[in-house]
Amino acid sequence: MDDIVRSAPNRPWVDAANGTVEREAFVGEDVFRLELDRIFHRLWIFVAHVSEIPGRGDYVVRTMGRVPVIAVRGSDGEVRVLLNSCRHRGTKLCRGEAGNARHFVCPYHGWSYAIDGGLITTSYDEHLPPDMDKADWGLVPAPRVEIYKGLVFAAWDPGVPPLPDYLGDIAWYLDALFWRTPEGMEVLAPPHRWRVRANWKIGALNFIGDSQHVRTTHAGPIALDKVRSERDGFYVQGGDSFQVVTDDGHGCTLTYLAPGMPERNYLTHPPGLRDAYADTLGPDRLAMLHHLRVMVGNVFPNFSFIESQVALGEKAVIVRQWQPLSGTEMEVLSWVLAEREAAAEYKDRALRHGFHNFGAAGVFEQDDLELWASATQASDNPIARRFPYSFHSSLPFDDAPIDNAKGPGRSYKPSNTEVAQFAFMQRWDAAMQG
Amino acid sequence: MNEERGPAPASDVAFLEVQRFLNREAALLDRRDYMAWFDLLTEDINYVVTARVSRPAESGPVDYAIVDEDTDTLRLRVLQIGDPRLTRAENPPTQTRRFVSNLEVEDADPPDDYVAHTNLLVYRQRGTAPDGDFYAGRRRDVLRRDGASLRIADRLVRLDHNVLFDGSLSVIL
Repeated sequence: MDDIVRSAPNRPWVDAANGTVEREAFVGEDVFRLELDRIFHRLWIFVAHVSEIPGRGDYVVRTMGRVPVIAVRGSDGEVRVLLNSCRHRGTKLCRGEAGNARHFVCPYHGWSYAIDGGLITTSYDEHLPPDMDKADWGLVPAPRVEIYKGLVFAAWDPGVPPLPDYLGDIAWYLDALFWRTPEGMEVLAPPHRWRVRANWKIGALNFIGDSQHVRTTHAGPIALDKVRSERDGFYVQGGDSFQVVTDDGHGCTLTYLAPGMPERNYLTHPPGLRDAYADTLGPDRLAMLHHLRVMVGNVFPNFSFIESQVALGEKAVIVRQWQPLSGTEMEVLSWVLAEREAAAEYKDRALRHGFHNFGAAGVFEQDDLELWASATQASDNPIARRFPYSFHSSLPFDDAPIDNAKGPGRSYKPSNTEVAQFAFMQRWDAAMQG
Repeated sequence: MNEERGPAPASDVAFLEVQRFLNREAALLDRRDYMAWFDLLTEDINYVVTARVSRPAESGPVDYAIVDEDTDTLRLRVLQIGDPRLTRAENPPTQTRRFVSNLEVEDADPPDDYVAHTNLLVYRQRGTAPDGDFYAGRRRDVLRRDGASLRIADRLVRLDHNVLFDGSLSVIL
């Protein structure tokens, strides 16, 4: 990896003063390899939601950058993240996507591991030299695993700050989506997975604060939602809207209901949970949720979230991960969540509506993906790379945060500027400089 | 309804009627004639597409829905992809060519309704990409008698995919 790091273009890709970003950042394979080293194999990366692995031995198979891992609940109830590769000759222990294991047995030569990763037997232990200590040959654990409000993150750098410190002020907003009742949230189905021939950062930028694309990219569902909402006698109109940027390149965009819009919006949450929200979140965040039409954001680098009400009753919390495969391709994972305490009927509806709008066949998703792929394809050539991307509509607003009594972080208006996106890119650039 | 329960095969006449119906339906979808296609559905249509989670054979695979529509949401979906002003994914239109085969037809209740099992292979080509992609799966349709015609009352498409390719599914299967 050192050779790669030395030979990689060693310059800032982001021109903070002029509001531009080199296209190479969105297509370069050298850039991608450096991202793996400086970002994905170093910082906190989302791995799973606790509800995906509720029982002992339950596991899901995921990827952190290029590193295949098993997230497993051990016999002691702890969640561990283990390198999915036998210590003997590297074979994957788990070759499916999910399951329940009592042991991890390598199908190649039979090395067997406990679900906490410890090596039990090599099958030929009698041939081992006496000074080989099996305790040193367990599955490689991610040195740092922490759970924030049901969200499991892991890091390969033991020196990363504690997860709550890393999340900082964005946690205040995450709480409102991921822990607003005493039991918290649960994942309603396995994640949708799909590949896009687009750079992973386009997804992160799209979620952290890209209000400019909504009217053009999503002209279809927006026009059609009006039809549907009028039929239902319920039209959701957005009002006050702003972006929030927090330290470490996290951020989100919030849009409230227009003044005077009825609180029927709130009724589309499980009605029986209203008191639980108040107790769990406290008055400030209850007021925020109460009138929130959309909250969409990103935790650096590749964990995104959205709660959006598209039409009457169509409210769902979505978690999204932008998993890089190369400089020009990613795999997207997308989960739908609901409150554990919610009725089964509510969960079914939230799941259906969640992936109708945002998922492997989502009516919003499909238009984004086609345009992201075309952006990556058209930028992946030497001529296009001479001409940087524009983030200019960040500049006039960067130094002028608004006074936002509603929540922490630095807030900016109007929401359809590019402040949060440019903050993400500057954080990215700083991480890439090492 | 369950494929594993063992079919009660329908008559040859019914088989031919169902085959003719499914061929006509496939042609409408390949021609992107979504309004005519929508007329082939009952008002209580349930339209589901699933993908699957790969798990150890002992546990068996798990299917999960990636599309689950009733008549309202399905209408919105086809209005979007059928109107060039309302879609980016399907403008320029993707080209599809679908192959509906291995038909098995069972009698259903009430008589004159059928359950049809087919294999589905859809070649889909987008833009100027020289290489297209395929969706493959097994389809189970409940076909309901409506006068001289049949209508689709329930469709389940079980895709043989874990990770979908090239963006989002923006065509009807």
